[in-house]
Amino acid sequence: MFLKSAAIALTALMATAPIAKAETIPVLVPITGFLSLEGSSQRNGAVLAVERFGKDLSLDAEVTDTGTSPEGAVTALRRALEGKPSAAVASMLGTQMLAMLPIAGRAGVPLLTVSGTAKITEIGIPWVFRFFPGDSVVKVAQAHYAVEELGAKRPALLYQTTAYGQSGAEHLRRIMQDLGAPLVFEEAIDISVKDMLPALTRMQEAKPDLILLHLHSGSTALVIRQARDQNIALPILAGSAMHQPTTAALLEPKQLAGVCAESASSPISEPEGSVEDFTAEYRARFGTEPDAFALAQYDGVSMLIAAKNAGARTATEVRDWLASNSYDGLAMTYKSDGKGNMAHDAVVVCYDGKSAVPAIKRRYENVSGVK
Amino acid sequence: MPVSDPRSRLALGVAAIALALYALFFAGDYALHVLTRAGIYAIAAIGYQLIFGRLGALSLAQGCFFGLGAYAAGLGALELGLGFPLTLAAGVLLPSLLAALIAIPVLRLASHYFALATLGIAQLALLVATNWTDVTGGANGLYGVPPIETGTLSFGHGLPLTLLVWACVGLALTVSHRMTAGQRGLKVETLREAPLAAAALGIDGSAIRFRFFVASAAFGGLAGALQAHAVGVVSPDVLQFHVLVLILAMTVIGGRASPLGAILGALLLVHLPEWFRDFADYYLVVYGVALLAAIIFLPRGLAGLFGKSKMPPVETADAEAPHDPAPLTLSVETVSKRFGGVTALDGTSLTLAPGEILGLIGPNGSGKTTLVNLLSGIEKPDGGRILLGDADITGKPPEHIARAGLCRSFQHPQIAPDLTVLETVEAIATKGESAQARVIEAGLSTHANERAGTLPPAALKHLEIARALATGASILALDEPAAGMNEVERAALATLLKRLADAGHGILLIDHAMDFLLPLADRVICLSAGRVVAEGSPHEVARDPAAINAYFGESPL
Repeated sequence: MFLKSAAIALTALMATAPIAKAETIPVLVPITGFLSLEGSSQRNGAVLAVERFGKDLSLDAEVTDTGTSPEGAVTALRRALEGKPSAAVASMLGTQMLAMLPIAGRAGVPLLTVSGTAKITEIGIPWVFRFFPGDSVVKVAQAHYAVEELGAKRPALLYQTTAYGQSGAEHLRRIMQDLGAPLVFEEAIDISVKDMLPALTRMQEAKPDLILLHLHSGSTALVIRQARDQNIALPILAGSAMHQPTTAALLEPKQLAGVCAESASSPISEPEGSVEDFTAEYRARFGTEPDAFALAQYDGVSMLIAAKNAGARTATEVRDWLASNSYDGLAMTYKSDGKGNMAHDAVVVCYDGKSAVPAIKRRYENVSGVK
Repeated sequence: MPVSDPRSRLALGVAAIALALYALFFAGDYALHVLTRAGIYAIAAIGYQLIFGRLGALSLAQGCFFGLGAYAAGLGALELGLGFPLTLAAGVLLPSLLAALIAIPVLRLASHYFALATLGIAQLALLVATNWTDVTGGANGLYGVPPIETGTLSFGHGLPLTLLVWACVGLALTVSHRMTAGQRGLKVETLREAPLAAAALGIDGSAIRFRFFVASAAFGGLAGALQAHAVGVVSPDVLQFHVLVLILAMTVIGGRASPLGAILGALLLVHLPEWFRDFADYYLVVYGVALLAAIIFLPRGLAGLFGKSKMPPVETADAEAPHDPAPLTLSVETVSKRFGGVTALDGTSLTLAPGEILGLIGPNGSGKTTLVNLLSGIEKPDGGRILLGDADITGKPPEHIARAGLCRSFQHPQIAPDLTVLETVEAIATKGESAQARVIEAGLSTHANERAGTLPPAALKHLEIARALATGASILALDEPAAGMNEVERAALATLLKRLADAGHGILLIDHAMDFLLPLADRVICLSAGRVVAEGSPHEVARDPAAINAYFGESPL
């Protein structure tokens, strides 16, 4: 009985070894946990690009959920590396990227991500390519729009306690100070907090003239809903989570009046052209609206496929091509700054209080001066 | 399943060889990584078994200890430049120190308060890790924790790391085994299932709880430290509640009190999601269903598949003769006890000589059980003095009083149902005492290898007496030992008690069955409203108007 059980267990353990595929692009993204909305967009963008442009190269996308823990991401990457890929799409969660990067560096496999965490391109591992503008781009756009377009002088900031939140808050604190509109209030909000009223009440005591948000999707919607329910009519300039259609869907259009958000792009706001085609195809394929993360990852994988079409076959060749070429994607033109930061443009979108589709109010191009 | 029995050792040996063969010859880098993760969690689960599985205390801080170990190792390596063995030591020490610090206030709490207190500590640690950005790196955490290297040896990843982690699993198993094997394990089982009885039988529950809580923290920290080096990043995620939930699930599904179960649980729960990856978006649903099935169909956990070891059968011929007790006199001097506005005992005095059976009677609420509680240290008197021989035991802790020579039984027997009769007595037996002899003396030799939870009520009462005798007690305070017995059973009990008295034990006997108590007792005291209203020989008390008025209604003679 015992030997039989042991044999079954051993066989099951051996089944852990994955079956290798010839041309598989691993897509290692958080599709469960607090980043599931954004992670799903990332996955969809990558999958759509592989399906659209990868046929000639017999490319296939294999999606693995990383959850939100670093160890989950590391396990997913180790699994993916068994197939000896030439590149992998990697999580948008900064702590997961920080865990995966040394392993990818040792294995010599480039990681394509839309993570906004600044540190991933600052730790000296030249195997990461970020296709979403980092905080040094989008927070500049957010701060400038707050001061120059909305006339903010006494801004308040609510940010998430996650790596994403702390990184963005650090940038906003500094840039707003430089622009002569220092924060009069700031508070970090845990991802599990659902009641925002205490934070909003404390914020009001500081008498701000604008609310800056740097929160994930769910928290963004909760703050806006509860602020409007409390008749707090201050203008709100949110982080990129607010531009996501899935976030806007959590709110009534009238609650969105006076709400703007920074983002890399806003696919559903583009009424025509190639972005509109992308949006239509995305809707048809996934039955949901695309956001900037989906488009950025779509562009990233499209650039990867462009590298392969240009003859880059091995992981090293792919990395070198990505590092030394520019690519005209749908959202913007991508070019590495030498550290793997590929995206340098941002937009600010605003809602009119009648529709859940925002309009692009201002484009900030080449913020980092790389292109 | 204890590791000490041959079947468990065989199972562990075969499993270890199978794992080693798999790791050495079949596993690729990814499979080794998963195996390494399983080993890390197995260490944390083995630790959690000590506090949750063995002691039954729902600590919600095990994930916190895991995370603190990771942070200590990460900070040690990155900020202090410590090498691997020292980072490991830091990972073990920090959570152990925290556990030792919080143990004194926290371990006194009742179960749900204990759970809430440990949860609070875990939440506090998470807040500190997230917000003390200068030290912990905030939400980004610490990154670049170096792989494990010591001297010329590198355990960075792959097979060397897997072997190192599983060597640590072996170390954890050894330590856990030393803490729970033999009589130590039986004591812990008794403490978990019958804490009040355990104290009254001389088991120092506070010391055991402290040791196990600190050890569970040390194991959690060891696992966390290994995790920090294996993953290279330490973020607040390691302090999140899901880490605790995972360790808890491993402990429950593997087998609450089995180190082998902890390993099986860790192997299963780490590997299951990987096996189900092909279910894509639905893999967590399949994972959940598999866990549910394991809980429903394996209520004793995976380790339950291997059955439970049995103690060797009791051989009458092998048993040593029971030791005679030390001749001690119990003196109770004007003891009083109040509960709020109610006076339970009011200046009660009595003496009990070696070899004497003293009957204690009185109506319900007269203070009989309160008196036994005071004698055994479960309650502290408000006034008066209790002497055992020359020793003043007034207000001493129950375990102190039990070791001094006074032991009690309970109205409703308090036993560990999964222990056999012999194990139940073995758990308590002091040095020089033979559990086997006490089981035979109490007339339980035919039940010796039966689970205590399956015994008929009369046998349970005998078991409580056997257990009390195994402490080496001179004085036995028996609270309604004949309750629920038929005439034949009462006769057998009376014979046993008479024999014990003849051997020199002083017996304080509470019972409402006068046809049992009066013929047996040498003297009788009748209590009413906390006061002694009659005292003397059974005949004298049975005819005493005060006793008749307070208790009998009419003379039983």
